[in-house]
Amino acid sequence: MIEVEGLTKRYGPIAAIDGVTFSVAQGEVIGFLGPNGAGKTTTMRILTGFSPPTRGTARVAGFDVLAEPLEVKRRVGYLPETVPLYPEMVVSKFLAYVAEIKGIARSRRRAEVGRVIERCGVGPVATRLVRNVSKGFRQRIGLAQALIGSPPVLILDEPTVGLDPQQIVEIREMIRCLAQEHTVLLSTHILPEVTMVCGRVLIIRRGRIVAQDTMANLAGAGRPRAFTVEADGPAEPLLGALRAVPGVAFAEAERAGRFRLKALVGADIAPGVAEAVIGAGGRLRMLAECTRTLEDVFMDVIASDAGGER
Amino acid sequence: MRGAWAVCKREFAGYFTTPVGYLVVGTFAVITGLGFAASFLFYAKVSAAPSEYAYSGVPDFEETLLSPFLVFAGMVIMFIGPLVTMRLLAEEKNRGTMELLFTHPLRDRDIVFGKYLAALGMLIVMIAVLSVHLGIVAHFVVVEPAVLAFGLLTVFLMGAAFMSLGLFVSSMTSSQVTAGTMAFALWLVSYIIGSLGEDMPTANPAPETWPETLRAAVAFLYGLLRALVQELPLDAHAQEMAQGVFEPKDIAYYVLFTAFFLFLTFRALDSRKWRA
Repeated sequence: MIEVEGLTKRYGPIAAIDGVTFSVAQGEVIGFLGPNGAGKTTTMRILTGFSPPTRGTARVAGFDVLAEPLEVKRRVGYLPETVPLYPEMVVSKFLAYVAEIKGIARSRRRAEVGRVIERCGVGPVATRLVRNVSKGFRQRIGLAQALIGSPPVLILDEPTVGLDPQQIVEIREMIRCLAQEHTVLLSTHILPEVTMVCGRVLIIRRGRIVAQDTMANLAGAGRPRAFTVEADGPAEPLLGALRAVPGVAFAEAERAGRFRLKALVGADIAPGVAEAVIGAGGRLRMLAECTRTLEDVFMDVIASDAGGER
Repeated sequence: MRGAWAVCKREFAGYFTTPVGYLVVGTFAVITGLGFAASFLFYAKVSAAPSEYAYSGVPDFEETLLSPFLVFAGMVIMFIGPLVTMRLLAEEKNRGTMELLFTHPLRDRDIVFGKYLAALGMLIVMIAVLSVHLGIVAHFVVVEPAVLAFGLLTVFLMGAAFMSLGLFVSSMTSSQVTAGTMAFALWLVSYIIGSLGEDMPTANPAPETWPETLRAAVAFLYGLLRALVQELPLDAHAQEMAQGVFEPKDIAYYVLFTAFFLFLTFRALDSRKWRA
């Protein structure tokens, strides 16, 4: 649905993005992850036809963004980082205006506006002025605006930024539902968001894609599992016993009564650890696997990438 | 052009969902109304005793009252025109709604013409206010319809040309204040220069002791400058037109002026594609 190859955008001597290449298949929800200023918005702006690339090609739904921008724009719903709204307009009138510039036929406009109002839960504010609507609803209006005309591709630039936790959950839920009908490219710097919503992640840093993989692969596969153990009892013998468990590669005391273990790849050490604690005269309080969060992945990738640059 | 119409409708409605439209039309009505009353009273006074004002008979109505008033109205439009044009593109840039326009299936011409048509809409509202005065006059005095129509066309052409200048200025900046100030300043400067032009001597300013070729060059450049100063200002071509004198070059001037600034607006929008 989206094919990007060697995309570069220079602002004078500075390259905002440099040789970005990736593709998104139909029906995929892909997370575009990176620190602020990494080039997420620049890439999205190129895909939506807002600004042209300096070099490279980008195709959306089979159309080149430079050669056939209107065809691309008809097939993309875009929610920019700052939701583009006219404060002096009534919400439903604004959506009708968007439907009109989106090229929706007059006879279908009213139904289409009704559909997105329903879909995004904008109903309670539909007759209010945009100016008087809360931040959470503004974000929903922005999303409704992107959905008009059911474009096959949705590009959402930080859709949950600045919302309260309740609203963040609602918007994420909405995006997850949208994924059933649309191909979604979603940018964020909030890591759990990607875990919850996206099937695949692109990590971008300083204008380059530094990793792209499924969440499951990035988060775990092929890496040693780590555990946290909490146990009462004599510290030294406990640590000794834990180190002696087969499959444990590494063990250390984090603080009194709390230990960190790393297993060898493929080893299942949990039962052995439980027995070892009891065997050493301790009382087991907790045995938990540390799931690798995306924070870890992110920091790893960035660290290894920075290492590679030097 | 469906996109242009959509952009135009929203923009025009925007004038009247904010105070700007009422302010512009209200100010225009008050100023032209007072101006009309004043010049009408003066005309009545002159007509009652022409000899006191060095007229041999009752002065010509069209020439003495109507045409100068229409030119005055055109000037008032340019005076408050920046209020109409400053928001056109600068506001969209400032609010980030340019992103909405540029990422929807609109061509640049939909945006430029849509915005320009909205400004012309405001111009037509102002001319409608003006025709109230003129309608009252036409009820009491026999006015040549051709002069009336041509006079209104003059006002429209002046306004339309100014709106294109304002639109261009608005496309250059994301600040409405800058856009408004620039449009006003450009008009004021051209007006002042224009009034200087009337007093520029026709003789070659180069001393006679200079070599012949140099004198000729200076004469050519000075002639060019003089012509520019006299012909370029927006009101320079209005005086005669408003009296019903049809000169194709006057109309061509306004049409070309408008086309030129619309073209520059297109270039300014297009610059997003190559500007860093």
